[in-house]
Amino acid sequence: MAYELNEDQQDCLQELINVAMGQASDQLARYLDTFVFLTVPSIDLVSGKGLSDSLETTEESMAMVSQGFFGYEGIRGEALLVYKHEDSDRIGDLLGYEPDELSVEEQLIDISSILTTTFLNVFATQIENQMSYSAPKLISEMQGKLSEHLKQLSFDWDMALKVNINYQVTDYSFNCEMVLLIPEAAIENIKTVIDRILEEY
Amino acid sequence: MNGEIELSQVTDQLNSGILLLDLQLNIVSWNRFLAVHVNQKLEDVKGKLIFDVFPELPQRWFERKVASVIQLGTPTYCSWEQRHHLFELPHTRPITTDSHFMAQNCSFLPYEQEGKLVGICVLIEDVTDVCHYQSQLKETMKQLELANRIDGLTRIYNRKYWEEALGKEFARAQRYTSELSLIMFDLDHFKKLNDNYGHQCGDLVLIETASRVSSLLRDADVFGRYGGEEFGIVLPQTDQIGALEVAERVRAAISNSPIIFEGKKISFSASVGLATLNSEHKRYEDLISETDSALYRAKSSGRDQICILQKFNKCS
Repeated sequence: MAYELNEDQQDCLQELINVAMGQASDQLARYLDTFVFLTVPSIDLVSGKGLSDSLETTEESMAMVSQGFFGYEGIRGEALLVYKHEDSDRIGDLLGYEPDELSVEEQLIDISSILTTTFLNVFATQIENQMSYSAPKLISEMQGKLSEHLKQLSFDWDMALKVNINYQVTDYSFNCEMVLLIPEAAIENIKTVIDRILEEY
Repeated sequence: MNGEIELSQVTDQLNSGILLLDLQLNIVSWNRFLAVHVNQKLEDVKGKLIFDVFPELPQRWFERKVASVIQLGTPTYCSWEQRHHLFELPHTRPITTDSHFMAQNCSFLPYEQEGKLVGICVLIEDVTDVCHYQSQLKETMKQLELANRIDGLTRIYNRKYWEEALGKEFARAQRYTSELSLIMFDLDHFKKLNDNYGHQCGDLVLIETASRVSSLLRDADVFGRYGGEEFGIVLPQTDQIGALEVAERVRAAISNSPIIFEGKKISFSASVGLATLNSEHKRYEDLISETDSALYRAKSSGRDQICILQKFNKCS
């Protein structure tokens, strides 16, 4: 079965994400009281192996937080937030917590949940949907390459739609990457939604 | 079933807490689970500030946490893995677990009426079981990991772990062009010892050897049982002269004093091979084979001595 999005579908999804990014960035800026920059997303179709390879090019020593999302019409997937170690020190500050109020692990989980749910809530509104979430989970905070972490995850899919968005908070020199993965079973569903939106135009 | 369904009949039977707060964090409602565990009636806490009913809550943290729900309209979570519990509630396994309070996963969800955020719904799940089994699992994993590294008889590293450690030290020394030496030694006439005095005696000699040598080494040195009566010591940041000193102390510690077995004094000794990393060693196995050859030469030159193949080409 072909999972590829055609050109119209790809453009439409890109546009939906762009709009969601704009609104999410605005909401985050108000909540965090600082500017949050989201870079233009990349949308690809990846295999399980391709995913580890594509993430391997990034730095060593990372933490990763995973959070599942699910909405109506079979829209579901998993958001991975990937952090470099030097960035994890600044999260508490960014979130407005006192240093001894919470652990680094908790900060990672908190910021991940905020970034993921803010973006996906706005995105869901765009496609007239509503998202629910699983509790975010810290997958690994060990030193080492992310690809090794990824190998430990059991991938129950061959292909996935991958949306990469980079978050930057320049005032806090904070950076992180959000990787949304929509497994193959849900790709058809998102295509159906996109086709409906395209028809409405 | 017909007519209006009263959902509280269902929520009151849940084994999870449901707590509804208004935007000022006053308690609006809770389900039976919480009423029972807090041991207070809803009428008595309704309208009270959450911090008055649960003084154990970290107030500033809690307010900031909830602020994200109010401002962003998004859920937020608090897992037992990061914070064992938020609310000090008793749990249902006080006898069979060692945890005092109920371990909890809490979710803070926006509560909307007619599309407008009017409150926060806090879901409190009892995960004491999960927490208990997870800590047991962690403890077991730790023991397994240790067992996986340690030689059962001598309590020093086993061959597999020792070789992995050598591989790592080898790679590190190559990367940073630092010194690295390897000592391997083998107990002399060990088979004869076993034949004459029995395997129990042989085992005792192995244990005593491991213990004597361990006491000579630095924390960074990696000491393991390579096979039967052969041992290996990885010496990071150690040149040939330094390694030779260690080797001599090892040899002397083994042969200087006998052990007493069933009232008999039993002397034993070891032959020692030594090699130091140089550019000819491409893989750590090359270092092992050079050390092994040196050890073989020490054996054939009369035992209870140290031999180095390269550079000095000498036997002491």
